[in-house]
Amino acid sequence: MNTGKKQVERVRILIASSHPLFAEGLRSLLVKRREPEASVVGIVSTIEEAIAALRTLNPDLIIVDYDDDRVNRDEFLARFVEGEGRLRVVLLSLKEGGSEAIVYDRRSMAASQIEDWLETWGGSETITHEISIPVEESLPRSEVSKRRDNMRHFIAAGLVVIGLMVLLILGNQRIALLPIAASRQAVPIDNLFRLQFMVIIFLFSLIVGLMIYSVIFFRRKAGDETDGPHIEGSSTLEVAWTIVPLGIVLAIAVIGSQALGRTLAADPKPLRVNVIGSQWAWRFEYPELGILSTEMILPVDKQALLILSSTDVIHSFWVPEFRVKQDALPGDAFERQLRITPDEVGEYKLRCAELCGRQHYSMESPVKVLSQEEFDAWVQANAPPPPGSEGEGANPPVGRGDKLTQQFACRSCHSVDGSALVGPTWKGLYGTEEQLANGTAILVDDAYLYESIRDPGVKITAGFQDLMPHTIAKDMTDEQIADVIEFIKSVK
Amino acid sequence: MSFFRSSLIRGLIGLVLGWIAGSVLTIIIRVLVGLPAWKEEPVLVGGAIVGTITFMLSTGVMNDWLQWMRGLETPGPGFNQPELTGVRKLMNVSYDHKVIGIQYGITSLVLLLTAGLFGLIFRTELAEPGLQFLTADQFNSLISLHGIVNIGGILLGVGAMSNFLVPLMIGANDMAFPRLNAFAYWINIPGIVMLLTTLLLGGVDAGWTGYPPLSANLGKVAFSMFFLGVYVIGLSSILGALNVITTTLRMRAPGMSLFRMPIFVWSALATALIALTVTQLIGLSFQMVLFERVFAMDFFNPAEGGNVLLFQHLFWFYSHPAVYVFVLTGLGVISELLPVFARKPLFGYKFVAMSSMAIALIGFLVWAHHMFTSGMASYLRVPFTYTTLLVAVPTGVKFFSWIATLWRGKISFQTPMLYVLGAISIFLLGGLSGPPNATVATDLHLHDTYYIVGHFHATMFGGYIFPFIAAIYYWFPKMTGRMYSERLGKISFWFILLGFYVQSLSQMQIGLLGMRRRIADYDPALGITTQQIMITIAAFAIGFGVLVFITNIIRSMRRGEVAVANPWRSRSPEWTLLPSPIPAHNYETPIEVVGEPYDYGLEGSVYARKQAPPTVTPASGPLPAPAPAD
Repeated sequence: MNTGKKQVERVRILIASSHPLFAEGLRSLLVKRREPEASVVGIVSTIEEAIAALRTLNPDLIIVDYDDDRVNRDEFLARFVEGEGRLRVVLLSLKEGGSEAIVYDRRSMAASQIEDWLETWGGSETITHEISIPVEESLPRSEVSKRRDNMRHFIAAGLVVIGLMVLLILGNQRIALLPIAASRQAVPIDNLFRLQFMVIIFLFSLIVGLMIYSVIFFRRKAGDETDGPHIEGSSTLEVAWTIVPLGIVLAIAVIGSQALGRTLAADPKPLRVNVIGSQWAWRFEYPELGILSTEMILPVDKQALLILSSTDVIHSFWVPEFRVKQDALPGDAFERQLRITPDEVGEYKLRCAELCGRQHYSMESPVKVLSQEEFDAWVQANAPPPPGSEGEGANPPVGRGDKLTQQFACRSCHSVDGSALVGPTWKGLYGTEEQLANGTAILVDDAYLYESIRDPGVKITAGFQDLMPHTIAKDMTDEQIADVIEFIKSVK
Repeated sequence: MSFFRSSLIRGLIGLVLGWIAGSVLTIIIRVLVGLPAWKEEPVLVGGAIVGTITFMLSTGVMNDWLQWMRGLETPGPGFNQPELTGVRKLMNVSYDHKVIGIQYGITSLVLLLTAGLFGLIFRTELAEPGLQFLTADQFNSLISLHGIVNIGGILLGVGAMSNFLVPLMIGANDMAFPRLNAFAYWINIPGIVMLLTTLLLGGVDAGWTGYPPLSANLGKVAFSMFFLGVYVIGLSSILGALNVITTTLRMRAPGMSLFRMPIFVWSALATALIALTVTQLIGLSFQMVLFERVFAMDFFNPAEGGNVLLFQHLFWFYSHPAVYVFVLTGLGVISELLPVFARKPLFGYKFVAMSSMAIALIGFLVWAHHMFTSGMASYLRVPFTYTTLLVAVPTGVKFFSWIATLWRGKISFQTPMLYVLGAISIFLLGGLSGPPNATVATDLHLHDTYYIVGHFHATMFGGYIFPFIAAIYYWFPKMTGRMYSERLGKISFWFILLGFYVQSLSQMQIGLLGMRRRIADYDPALGITTQQIMITIAAFAIGFGVLVFITNIIRSMRRGEVAVANPWRSRSPEWTLLPSPIPAHNYETPIEVVGEPYDYGLEGSVYARKQAPPTVTPASGPLPAPAPAD
């Protein structure tokens, strides 16, 4: 307690007030009570005098009249704080309700020295209102009673943690957190989710519970300016809270890797589906069945092996109910696989899950999981008719073209009913003269249509923009484009 | 000095003139090489590069170096003109690390507010299904800029805190390289200008991550400005980090061994080590896309043999450690402030210091967890699960140490402490939502959904924004000599905290239920419209809280109660040995360290004190007595 306490030298006091009663009254009080340790070296009544006196008289303490406008306390303090020497300023107010003396001290001291410092100025009721410090318990606490206290805190805090855990577990059960699981791959994934939610709830409750407890029961009591116990650390705890979390994360990593393995389990004879993403639609090819479709139709309880690719930018295949997700990449060497075994008949949606440009948000396709019988019926109905048979319809190229324009997403931008979408409508287009954006006119014939599909940006129709993806027809053969042209011709 | 002669205005004028000159130069080169004279994108890029150089020259920040190149001395105070105050001072080049720190801080807040505004705009759009007032392109640009401008703002804020605090905390009078420090600040301005020009050039719609081939789309010239802007801001990061490392390792006061530094300096050091070594990778990956766009170097064009996965590996090799750059400084602020407000030593100081280094190290090994669905080699995803989960261990050490610091303490709840406690709980929420992303199987469901959005917003806010606000409040009296308003501080805290909880939990839930990220509109059949409205309302609550915070700061700068030298009774040298505000050259008398930084509760212990003036004895022995007067 006595370290750092110096011999108290004669304290030089300056009084700053333009009210003679305040100044003189204070001076005589100080002289009466504090001589010879302190002496009043001057009385100033304006801020200029106060600043000058700081330099010439070099006081250790200035008592400033809080309410006096001529001694402008704010400006004075602003100047005061810019200096560097030791100095204390006490602001006193004589007004009613002024229950504080405000002290500004421009020097440094250790926390333990503040008590000493304050003690030298306590004791007088009329001049300063005491800033009282509760006397710390002078009897040393026994080790046993300290440990018993600690135990009680641990138990109480533990109850808070457990309470929080119970609340969160109940909440977790009540709030929907996952869509229905509709694939076999979803089973290990959902189990892993449930395990992780439990670990998260436990750890969150532990930390936040202890925080809540501390914030309530370890508050600083009003007026207590002392420090807390000097606890620097504990090697035991450090080891414990490194090893135990390490064990937990390793366990999760092992379990997680096993779950991944289960989602990758391969069926020997899956149904192959090529899934091709283009800006901004999906199409599906069933190479073994010869079917092209804009909807993904799958038989229940049979593994589908999806071969994912893109014609332009990166897209991503995701049906939330199936859980697993895989990006569809551009480039012939970059086909990627995803295995899905739907186990619930129903209708779902495939939603592109990688930002791919303007219409990314609506790049969705229906997914239908059918019973085996319904699936077989669908295959029958959609398999390509043998060439030359009745199934081809009255005008086979137009029929094929109709399907192709849907499968290759042309119809999301070109209407057949006259409405202007992103691109010009096809209704009545063939054979007319089209105004181009560069001012010239051109006849819409087979050659023009072919060029517009293979090389979309070369000629832009007036009133429209160069928005047709340049690679949209990358996978189309010339025969298929011929069918599309036949279809466009047929839209009158 | 008039407004128009300030470094900022001169720099911007130089930027415009240089941009024009660079454009003309590019046209000339194109003609000489045999290309058609005008093509928008290369001319824009040429202009921007030259404009950046002329900006830096016009601000005058390079003047001293240019003098030295000519073999001349640079006596005099250089750019530390003491007569400038307030906004004028901040608009001019200064070599004083405190001024630079505040310049970083204010620019950071401007960026964060701008990005936040973008967020409020698209959150309003997302409140209900259907596109109400934004087109899809506008939406995609806004979310991309929201991301990158926030990231720039965070990097600048990290620079603010490191630059302002590190010299003060180690007893130094400035950083090791004051002119480089100024340069690193000012080069951000052309970068920010370039990012903002994307708004005028049609926007960037590939997310802040800018994956090709989408970002190599030649129809969107704004991408060049996006890539160049980030490149230049990254350069600032690298140079600033260099300065922090050198300063920390070489300029500590006598007696301040590494394990006697304030804990914040440890986190600033760990952050700087990451930023110095890995920022180059985002520069590289963005430069490669830029070259693909401007020079047709088809790195990522599969039609010409390019590989889109290469970009992702290069990009994420920086962008994962980058998030530790964002949060380690914030976590350092938490560790720094808790002992002061709990009046107890930081529990396990050495372990907390080492945990920052461990997080930095492990952080280099986890990047591919951003790529689990990308089509990377399937088996290779598994080691990244292990390393990603491993980061939780040193992070856990921090959390447990913080709780142990609070335990049995004497906690008071001024605004900085409120924000620190809020930070701990929000960062905990964000961090704990991580393991499902770390295990590949669950990440297959979560990747590119709002769950991820919730995860990183919680970790960013808890690990950076809350501590940043806490730091501004805490050091406000030291920076300005005035106190902020406690009432406004508490109001802003509660709005931001409660808003943030609602936002994070709702985001995570709708992500699990099927809400993808980066989508301008969503399927009403998902049944998440209520949550979307709640998130939007929460976002506005957060915005309101931030507004109250900014108001508090601005008003208190002029009209706050004059502050004492050490209102927090902290043991750190900037509080115990410096007045508020701090004089230009920090410690007039050098200081020395004679104790531990966090010995609260130890009677009579001193951490740092002024060095005693040396007593000089001449080498030849004591001086002879003066000769008697004749």
